Amino acid sequence: MRPHAPALICRLQAHPARPATPVCPRGSACCKLKPVDRRTFVTLAAAAPLAAAPIDVPAYRVVTPFPKSQNPGMPGPYPGQAVRVHSEKSIDPASGKVDLETVRKMLSTGMRALTGDTRDDDAWARFVSPKDTVGIKVNCSGAPRIRSSPEVVGAIAERVMAVGVPAERIWIYERFMNQLVTVPYRNFVPQAVHIHAAETDRGSVMGYDPKVYVETDFFGEEDTRSNLTRIVSETLTKIINVPNMKEHQASGVTGCLKNIAYGNFSNVARSHRNEKTNTYSFIGTLAAVEPVRSRVVLAVMDGLAGVWHAGPFSNNPRFRFYPKELMIGTDPVAMDRQLIDIIEAKRKAEGAISIFNQSREILGDNRDPNKNAYIREPGHVEYASKLGLGVYDQAKIQVKRIEL
Amino acid sequence: MILLAIAAALPGVFWDAPPDTAAALREAGIRRIVVPAEQVAAWKQVEGIAVAAGDPRQAVKVRTPAVNYRFDQASASRVPWIDSNGWRFLRQPDGRFFYDSGGAAAALAAAEAFAWGANAMVKTDAAGLKPLGDMLAFAAGIESAAMQPVVDFGFVDDGSATAGEVMNLLVRHTLLFRVVKAPDPKLKLTVQLGSRKYPLEAAKNPGAMAQMVRADLTDERRSLRIYGSAVVVGRVESAPGRVRVHLVNYDGGRKVNGLRVRVAGRYANYRLAAAGNPDLALMDYDAQPDATEFTLPELKTYAVIDLLK
Repeated sequence: MRPHAPALICRLQAHPARPATPVCPRGSACCKLKPVDRRTFVTLAAAAPLAAAPIDVPAYRVVTPFPKSQNPGMPGPYPGQAVRVHSEKSIDPASGKVDLETVRKMLSTGMRALTGDTRDDDAWARFVSPKDTVGIKVNCSGAPRIRSSPEVVGAIAERVMAVGVPAERIWIYERFMNQLVTVPYRNFVPQAVHIHAAETDRGSVMGYDPKVYVETDFFGEEDTRSNLTRIVSETLTKIINVPNMKEHQASGVTGCLKNIAYGNFSNVARSHRNEKTNTYSFIGTLAAVEPVRSRVVLAVMDGLAGVWHAGPFSNNPRFRFYPKELMIGTDPVAMDRQLIDIIEAKRKAEGAISIFNQSREILGDNRDPNKNAYIREPGHVEYASKLGLGVYDQAKIQVKRIEL
Repeated sequence: MILLAIAAALPGVFWDAPPDTAAALREAGIRRIVVPAEQVAAWKQVEGIAVAAGDPRQAVKVRTPAVNYRFDQASASRVPWIDSNGWRFLRQPDGRFFYDSGGAAAALAAAEAFAWGANAMVKTDAAGLKPLGDMLAFAAGIESAAMQPVVDFGFVDDGSATAGEVMNLLVRHTLLFRVVKAPDPKLKLTVQLGSRKYPLEAAKNPGAMAQMVRADLTDERRSLRIYGSAVVVGRVESAPGRVRVHLVNYDGGRKVNGLRVRVAGRYANYRLAAAGNPDLALMDYDAQPDATEFTLPELKTYAVIDLLK
């Protein structure tokens, strides 16, 4: 585990009035350079691993009426496993056109490889039943250039319906409507499938559940709560997570964990300020909140296209790449661990610094792939493993690679 | 008697145009105005409009309340700059204040003054008359009751500009205080700039000082918390068995779509009055032993929520 640097964190916040001492707002997370106040952790389901947590992990207060599940969806029935299916035919990088039939085959092959089943319906029936209301959590933070491909989402919806879930009980959802509407999901699913955003009006709290939230004060912000989307707590019984393969300026990578954490809770951008980001512990903490942890039962990481720098956006085509693969599993940590290697390998091939480089020298204009706006926190994946969300140790992860 | 009390609490409309503009006032629903002394006699001839004399030069001129997003200087969506006069009202509780606010901002000015119980006059232009008249009608409909401000700490105001700016930041963060001359043991905290705990040097960064006060108070002991907007400022008053929460949206031109509010204490019932939203109801009302929470689905400019035991 990477050691945190408390002195660095406070230096970033210093102001001339107190050059010798940190002047972060008293009580704010950036200055909690002390063991976690356990009184504030009373409802944190996964509190046990925090005994070994880095000392600057903020004090999180998790409020939820949902009990801890004995069989949570994460890491689910296939901990420490990931299936990677590659096909050269899946996408044409020049045009961006996705071959839907190839995507269907990749999904089918991957699901059968994960479960050991010979029939698609049997494989999918392990995760959803006709009684379920199923959410497909897409990632549109870089849309329209990079997003969960509508072809992949459409293929997933087909399989969910094949199990017997009616179209009207399938919800494709994201946080922000202005991003969601830029992707033509409607063209790939029946009209009855819902396409839903928590924030039709950016910044509105109305799409979030006031009874389920994580409270913490990172930088002295007044609104200290991040609430879960209502659709997750009130409507969905199962969620299929469909992230992309992307580097992320703050968290290092954005895959399964971040899509299900920052993509399901409000008011999360507050975790970054200047070059400091609290993604290290916040992502895992959010992902572990019930009912998120129980209801996310499957992840299909869309790696047809990806971003190796300046993510989660894809404003500069230079930083886009085409892994041409789908990664499937139930363990978000094991899958994101693979993502780290994918991004690192690509960055190395491009001559860019590692996402684990946390020196201040990297700070700068990220049009240069060796510069970044934040000190990245790819350690968030390992941190999530300590909350019980999955397996981080690569030696203990079984990866099945399939070429179509 | 009650009507008189209400009238005294309402901001006055300062109007220095001649009596032949009375129709515009009537159309806006404005029936009481404050005019320069030399115009009182002429206005007294106008039927249906009550007149009093007032002199803006004898009042403290205050800023038109607003949000300044300062796109080039700050994070627009997280911590916009709020021009609030709450701290001035707290510094001079017996003061007389004057707003010169054109257009819809006149309504926001009236709301702010009413929320703080300030003795204020609002001058506006033709475009501001209707919004101002509507806001005054709304305020007049709020049940008059003898209430005391709810405060969490005291602030020793030395009258300096530094203290004023710290008070301004405290108000903008909905940190509830009253001005005291000396520490009051009945309060949770007393803030005195220049003390060891709150050195003057640190007060040069008033935002950081406000955060220090907040941290010392702790969020758990705050009587009012607002989640979901950085442009809403709140104030709380109390009477036996009830509290009244005032919420002012300083971005009056753009409604806030949803606010979560936490008020210390358990209150089983509520009454909501939202300006421009007569049919609005609170959502997700949750009265716990230590605090009551609710969601206000929409806030245009001003809302008053009475919470009742």
